[in-house]
Amino acid sequence: MTASAATAEGAGGRDPIVSLSRVNKWFGDFHAIKGISLQVNQGERVVICGPSGSGKSTLIRCINGLERHQEGDLTVNGTRLDGKSASLNEVRRKVGMVFQHFNLFPHMTVLKNLTVGPTWILGRPREEAKETALAYLRQVRIEDQAYKYPAQLSGGQQQRVAIARALCMKPEVMLFDEPTSALDPEMVKEVLNTMIELAGTGMTMICVTHEMGFAREVADRVVFMDEGKIAEEAVPSEFFSAPKSGRAKAFLDQILVH
Amino acid sequence: MNYAFSFVYIVENLPVLFDGFMVTVRVSVISIAIASLIGIAGAAVRLLKVPVLSQVVGAYVHFIRSTPLLPQIFFIFYGLASVGLPISSFWAGVFALSLWGGAYNVENVRGGFLSISKGLHEAADSLAFGPLHYLWLVAVPLGVRVSLPSMLNTSVSVLKNSAYLQAIGLAELTFVAMDKVSLEFRTLEMFAAIGVMYLVLVLALSIAVRRLENVLQKPFRP
Repeated sequence: MTASAATAEGAGGRDPIVSLSRVNKWFGDFHAIKGISLQVNQGERVVICGPSGSGKSTLIRCINGLERHQEGDLTVNGTRLDGKSASLNEVRRKVGMVFQHFNLFPHMTVLKNLTVGPTWILGRPREEAKETALAYLRQVRIEDQAYKYPAQLSGGQQQRVAIARALCMKPEVMLFDEPTSALDPEMVKEVLNTMIELAGTGMTMICVTHEMGFAREVADRVVFMDEGKIAEEAVPSEFFSAPKSGRAKAFLDQILVH
Repeated sequence: MNYAFSFVYIVENLPVLFDGFMVTVRVSVISIAIASLIGIAGAAVRLLKVPVLSQVVGAYVHFIRSTPLLPQIFFIFYGLASVGLPISSFWAGVFALSLWGGAYNVENVRGGFLSISKGLHEAADSLAFGPLHYLWLVAVPLGVRVSLPSMLNTSVSVLKNSAYLQAIGLAELTFVAMDKVSLEFRTLEMFAAIGVMYLVLVLALSIAVRRLENVLQKPFRP
């Protein structure tokens, strides 16, 4: 993992799949993202952490255009987000997102949640979409719930369905916005395990999370944000054992020692 | 006070009342269906903020809700005839009631659309749904569910307001009763009879919509 992190830093000939250059974002007068530059290479796993209000969610929401950045360049898989709907559409087809509150479509069965995107947006044949969906449900171990509705599932199951739904679009990048924060403690693990397995398939992942165990285990790089800026960027072993910034030290003390 | 209420009179007049009853059912069912479609289409136009059309729908809703139904009915029936477009009282009635109910339904469905969580819209966005995909796959199925109770209210009003159509000579239930009363003066019998008939219709409509709600709520029960 340290090796891949090294290539991440050193470009290694590959173009980054996600590239932010001096990105700025304001909500009214509030400067949420302050000139952030960040490159994520194909297959890289990046964990973004930091205190609440530091802009980490806003940052990943900019990557698939759920929030629009006002300054700087943001390129995903070769498409520059230029504020036009064509580029937005192009980027969203390539970027999967998992939300804190799952956001499954409550009126559709689990299977329909997984096939609605591929059939309506990507134009896949119904049968093919169904087979793909069942394969991903098997991967996240809830194949037997395919014909249930989201309300009939536990939070952990719903979140795994949400992961499978995003994967059914065959994304190049997966974004996770605090995927375990809304879960009961006993369900956190099943979702993290699913994410760890996904990391094992070589998927490019950008995760906003406070699960430091997950960061330690799968992240190639930890990005620590504070007040809309990247305060520190390091491989997990360095970040956890020897954080450079005082703010990161204080943050780690807060969340690791109860 | 020696008016003898005659059930026999009602029974004797059931056939003619039934004719009126059926006209009321037909005009109401067609109007309720069209008003529901207008509601969904109008709310969709407002949701998508379609330029010009959105303002037109807004003005239409405002106009219908700010003027009494009876002049609206006259406007359509006599107004169309005076510009050389004669229209039967039945279809003028359908036209007027649909426009009237549709205006209220635009607001009902719009409320339903607004109740949908921001998170679901973002999920749709993240799956690269366009505005029309969001409308068709998420907003309509969820929003209409939420607005069903208020759409039922509007539909009941459409049904009851079909009585106004007697003013343009449509032989619906109230017209038939008035007609008989003017000839035979059995006021209490006739108005009691049609009162019960309207009650039955509203009850049937309510039960039908509750059933529909029940079916549509299935996914939301754990």
